[in-house]
Amino acid sequence: MPEKGHDFIDQYQNFVREGWDAWSRQMEQGPGAELPGSEAMGRLFGGLDGYGEWLKSMAAGGDMGAMPMGIGGIPPFGAPLTGESPEVMTRRFEEWLSTAREALGMPGLGIGREQHEEQQALLRAALDYAQHFSRYQALLGRVHDRAAEALKAQGAVGTPTDPESLRALYDRWVNLAEQAYGEAALSDEFREVYASVVNAQMRLRVLQQHQVERLAVQLGMPTRKEVDSLGERLQAVRRELRHMTGLAAEVESLRAEVNALRGATAVPAKKTASATKAATKKTVSPTKRATTKKTSR
Amino acid sequence: MMQNPFNIDPQHARDEVEAFRRKLEAGMETLRNVGPIELGSTPREAVYREDKLTLWHFVGEKKPTAKVPILICYALVNTPWMVDLQADRSMVRNLLEQGEDVYLIDWGYPDGADRWLTLEDYIDGYLDRCVDTVRRRHELDAINLLGICQGGVFSLCYTALHGDKVRNLVTMVTPVDFHTPDNMLSHWTRGVDIDLFVDTVGNVPADLMNWAYLTLKPVRLNQQKYVGLVDILDNPKEVENFLRMEKWIFDSPDQAGEAFRQFAKEFFQENRLMRGEAKIGERVVDLGAIRQPVLNIFAEQDHLVPPAASKPLGDLVGSDDYTAIAFKGGHIGIYVSSRAQREVPPAIHEWLAKR
Repeated sequence: MPEKGHDFIDQYQNFVREGWDAWSRQMEQGPGAELPGSEAMGRLFGGLDGYGEWLKSMAAGGDMGAMPMGIGGIPPFGAPLTGESPEVMTRRFEEWLSTAREALGMPGLGIGREQHEEQQALLRAALDYAQHFSRYQALLGRVHDRAAEALKAQGAVGTPTDPESLRALYDRWVNLAEQAYGEAALSDEFREVYASVVNAQMRLRVLQQHQVERLAVQLGMPTRKEVDSLGERLQAVRRELRHMTGLAAEVESLRAEVNALRGATAVPAKKTASATKAATKKTVSPTKRATTKKTSR
Repeated sequence: MMQNPFNIDPQHARDEVEAFRRKLEAGMETLRNVGPIELGSTPREAVYREDKLTLWHFVGEKKPTAKVPILICYALVNTPWMVDLQADRSMVRNLLEQGEDVYLIDWGYPDGADRWLTLEDYIDGYLDRCVDTVRRRHELDAINLLGICQGGVFSLCYTALHGDKVRNLVTMVTPVDFHTPDNMLSHWTRGVDIDLFVDTVGNVPADLMNWAYLTLKPVRLNQQKYVGLVDILDNPKEVENFLRMEKWIFDSPDQAGEAFRQFAKEFFQENRLMRGEAKIGERVVDLGAIRQPVLNIFAEQDHLVPPAASKPLGDLVGSDDYTAIAFKGGHIGIYVSSRAQREVPPAIHEWLAKR
């Protein structure tokens, strides 16, 4: 654990450096300041493309471990099975599938029939997810390309307000990238692709969970399904209990009110008013007693 | 020969990269020396606890002058400490200084035991019991309620259903119309099979929620922000502020599965609050039933809850006393920016003081 702080620092350092380096790498070739404008341009945009590739690899989950947030592999956009990019995952899956195709393509028979079908469904879901994920990645790739093109177009115009530092150029690119992404993200296509990748991953995970549950049953372990059922029932009982407690408080309040009214026939009107007031106040009280605990902050 | 259109002198660029590297290397010392980061700076006492929930009462340096306390209902996503991030960026502290008596609901961190909590459990249950606790402590029939973001939606539903317990209602960055064209989160959510999603993941992991938020502005939030951090690495106080915000962003609770299912379907996908068809338990939420004075504060540069999502509230509530304030800032800036410290708590206090 003591190393955690250093891990973070190292990760952060790597993360920032990689991003920045991808931008600046092309600018660093060779000493001297005699770089012709056209070559500088080429290197600049080469750096931009390199940065784009790095960013795409991050989005694919390939280099996410270097990020300070440690969000690599998080669904829906991380790779759910192996932590590898969808392309690699698809290729390996297809290689494996081709070897197993003959057996898996056969209809299930006998006592293992149901498991056989479940495994086929799981494989189909994995392939389906990989395809949807690739569509999503392709869409993000197009967004990046659009931003890069926009930056190049600005460069081609060559207005006098052009940035004079690499950082200013980077910031400008970020603005263009966010603008391109924002437009794409609000499109119908993005909505459809986003939903399809999330839904495909959920279908895959459900089938994975079935496999794990089957194993847990065999090992005599409680399954999530069982725990969920217990939780659902318990919450229903808690609700019912609260409802009954509320009803009990209401009955108590009404009883006090009735007693007050009964007393009104025997005592002067002044006393009746105070009794009614007391009864009314009781209905306001919450059912649970509050606790008071000081904290030292 | 093509001219370099960006006027970036290659030597300057190399120098810039080198300077950046030096600053990054030197700044590592600052990062190594940052101590533990804490959120929530104002003294407080717990006055009610239930399950994971804590109802906090803040203790100001002077006695409150307001006769009616104000209960802050925060969203289920993220922790509520955005309203009391640090001493010089604290809406709570500023409200106390104005003379308000402030309570805050801290929903806690749901786990598997909370998987089946519904919106009814949150609104008619937890929130209602917090309101009752404050009412009992102050011997009042009704208190002031301040809802933030999703907590604002809860507060609207609560006020519509338990109007006799709310004296004045304040909503901040609260969505009402979830289907405005600029609402990215809602746009993405609409095609997702929410039932399949919740049935599969159960409670929605905080990291997944955070990832969704980061992808609203992926380059700015995943990249540029950390490049920008290099600029302040030589300033320990600024670094501490940065890391405090970082902690708030990523130290967030999971979402109880059933409540998430209902919120995503009823509000994000079906926009039922806007259409007067949202249901909490068996009861329909009619915003027209809100007769209390309503103050609606939204942020003009809010990328999570666009102003257009908040503005329709005025036409939906039944109150004759409706005030809207547009704050120049974003979803987070409305609590932590210098402008917010100057403008927002005094505006809330003045509005309440007149009622």
